[in-house]
Amino acid sequence: MNAYAVPRTIIAGQAGLVDQRRRSLLIARLRLLLVIVVFVLVALAALVKIAFVGLVQPGPAQQSMADALLPPRGEITDRNGVPLARAFPAYALWYNPAAMTEGNEGGPPLVRSPEAVAQELKAIFPDLNTYEVTQQLASGRPGYLRRRVLPEDANKVMHIGELALELPQEEDRHYPQGSLAAHVLGYVAADGDGRVGMEQVLNDRLLDPARRAEPVALSIDMRVQGALEDELRRGMLSVNAVGAAGIVLDVDTGEVLALASLPEFDPNQVESSDVRVTQEQHDRGITAPAFNRVTNQVYELGSTFKPLTVAAAIDSGAITDLSRRYSATPYKVQGHTIRDSHPLGATLNTPQMLIHSSNIVTGHIVDEMGAETLRSYMVELGMNERPYIELPARGFPLWASGSWQRIRAITVGYGHGISVTPLHLASAYAAMVNGGIWRPATLHRIAPGEAPRGRRVFRASTSARMNQLLRMIAVYGTGRNADAPGFRVGGKTGSAEKPGVGGYRQTTLVSTFAAAFPMDNPRYVVIAMLDEPQGTVASSYQRTAAWNAAPIVGRLVPRIGPQLGVMPDAHRDIDLTDLRPLVGDVN
Amino acid sequence: MNQMTNNGLRGFRRIGWFAALGTCLALYALLHIKVTAVHAEVVRAERQIVSLEEQNMLLETEFLTRSNQVQLAAWNRVDFGFQSPTADQFINSPRQLAQYGSAPAEGAPAPIRLAGLRSGEDVPAFPQIVSPLTGRPIKANLLEEEREDNGALAVTIAPGPLRVPIAGIAEASVGVAQR
Repeated sequence: MNAYAVPRTIIAGQAGLVDQRRRSLLIARLRLLLVIVVFVLVALAALVKIAFVGLVQPGPAQQSMADALLPPRGEITDRNGVPLARAFPAYALWYNPAAMTEGNEGGPPLVRSPEAVAQELKAIFPDLNTYEVTQQLASGRPGYLRRRVLPEDANKVMHIGELALELPQEEDRHYPQGSLAAHVLGYVAADGDGRVGMEQVLNDRLLDPARRAEPVALSIDMRVQGALEDELRRGMLSVNAVGAAGIVLDVDTGEVLALASLPEFDPNQVESSDVRVTQEQHDRGITAPAFNRVTNQVYELGSTFKPLTVAAAIDSGAITDLSRRYSATPYKVQGHTIRDSHPLGATLNTPQMLIHSSNIVTGHIVDEMGAETLRSYMVELGMNERPYIELPARGFPLWASGSWQRIRAITVGYGHGISVTPLHLASAYAAMVNGGIWRPATLHRIAPGEAPRGRRVFRASTSARMNQLLRMIAVYGTGRNADAPGFRVGGKTGSAEKPGVGGYRQTTLVSTFAAAFPMDNPRYVVIAMLDEPQGTVASSYQRTAAWNAAPIVGRLVPRIGPQLGVMPDAHRDIDLTDLRPLVGDVN
Repeated sequence: MNQMTNNGLRGFRRIGWFAALGTCLALYALLHIKVTAVHAEVVRAERQIVSLEEQNMLLETEFLTRSNQVQLAAWNRVDFGFQSPTADQFINSPRQLAQYGSAPAEGAPAPIRLAGLRSGEDVPAFPQIVSPLTGRPIKANLLEEEREDNGALAVTIAPGPLRVPIAGIAEASVGVAQR
């Protein structure tokens, strides 16, 4: 028992020792394992991190080039792709006084004195107001010193070396042509939406991410627009007119190639005075520069209506013989005397009536045609509704509703008692010369062969006859100043007295020249209108359209003709031989 | 013994598989890194293109702004005075163009002619041709070598056939130059 017990004790003792050893060994191993596991985990984590950094992180999220180049607002171009309005990441010159004094440690915001910096800026921007800028720099308030800084000038500003002059790039709308076609384009207001012109009409299209990468082409031809504005401005200034309007229209498609209203505004820099007038200005009849005289202002356009009346009379069969003579002595209708500006002889035939612009004979023709016939032709020509064009500002004509009395029809026959926009007149003339089809005017470029069908107003034979008559007015009549050599211009003058308080004011006129060229195959209608022209040296002290509006067309057509594919040709003209004997001795 | 070899072989195979797997993984990792690098380069190039396009647009806009129609018209008025072409500056038909080349009609005013000399008149001797190198008169055979018409030299200074004998080449026959 003891023998067993001792060794057992020994064994037990040994066994306890071994056990303890084993246990501590196990614990040590476990601890080691734990440490290794921790190390391995740390190493793994490091490896994963390295793998992540090496494999995943440097691959930057791919940015699509198309996305990066997508403008924030779509571009508007002319019909040949010349940009008229584009999103432009322009530089702005921002004064940040905190740039030098980060952490509000005090100290001056500029390295040099405000006066010296203002002088340096003045050297870069000659139109800078040195005093105002010096005040702003000295005041220590952040703010814009200037916007739309050109890249070249931005570099020069950087070279001044003032930290406080920052040049952030801002998304901006830029009109490279300045005030050109301002009324067609409109502008983009501070809220990012377009105003006035096509910027307003196309606002959704220009902001749509799916479509704004594609520029929108207008029907405008930038070169024609430039020439029209240039000649209109020259004509307007030379006769001290308060305003001018002009339009060039394609007779076969209704595309507007140029549309100008003066005075104009600069869409790059729209002032509140450009869009609003004071009450005092409003009372004096002054309109804001952003007001579109071509589509929004209605005028009595005077004698330019006479060809339309004659066309209606020929078309309806009231005139079958152009040589028939009408009395040209003043006569009374419903208490009003119809008279001419000066005596034109005892009798006149239709071509003579147009050449000399006789109100009396127009009255006789309207009488024979009947008021209702003239009215229906005017309705067909769209004179009783707003003009068809995309622009938001379209004036409603002053149109006598109901059936017309005799006196109303007679006055409308020579362009009084009806007020329409110059665009109405352009569309009507286009219908008269293009073979008789009236089409709505449009500012969108129309692909060849996709012109709207339009509606027939005059017969083709009537249109051909009117082309001869219009050409005769320019060759023998009041439109001689518009007869650009080789371009076969035909057109009619119109000088209407403006209505004022208590009747017509004889000293204030609206003089218009409505023309088409080349008359042997009319392609374009040109309207030039002057609001309240004065008699000056340039117009030989005359105020009528023959002396101020007609020369504008005469100078404009040679400029735009070759650009529009109408080459001058002195050996070509519409055949006038059958009508020439009717006008007698004119030279 | 056999079993031991088998075990060793199996272990070796296992290590081999692991090595192969490791190599593949390493190659894949390398490839992946390469792809990422190229990709990053493409993105960088794209960004550069975008920035250049923007610069291009800025410069184009600046150019358009400086050369806008109003500005050009103002310059033209003050500095150049260009006017639109007139009708007589255009030729509208081949017939009109051909008119310029046709013989004048009977009784038409004579066209302005330039003064000139014709053969048969008193044609002065053509100056001797002198070598630019030696300063001596050129020998006729030097010129003859290159000419097929036996050294005939002629110049054309007036309309119509013209013969100018060259005094410097005595042997040369006088040629005819046709315009």
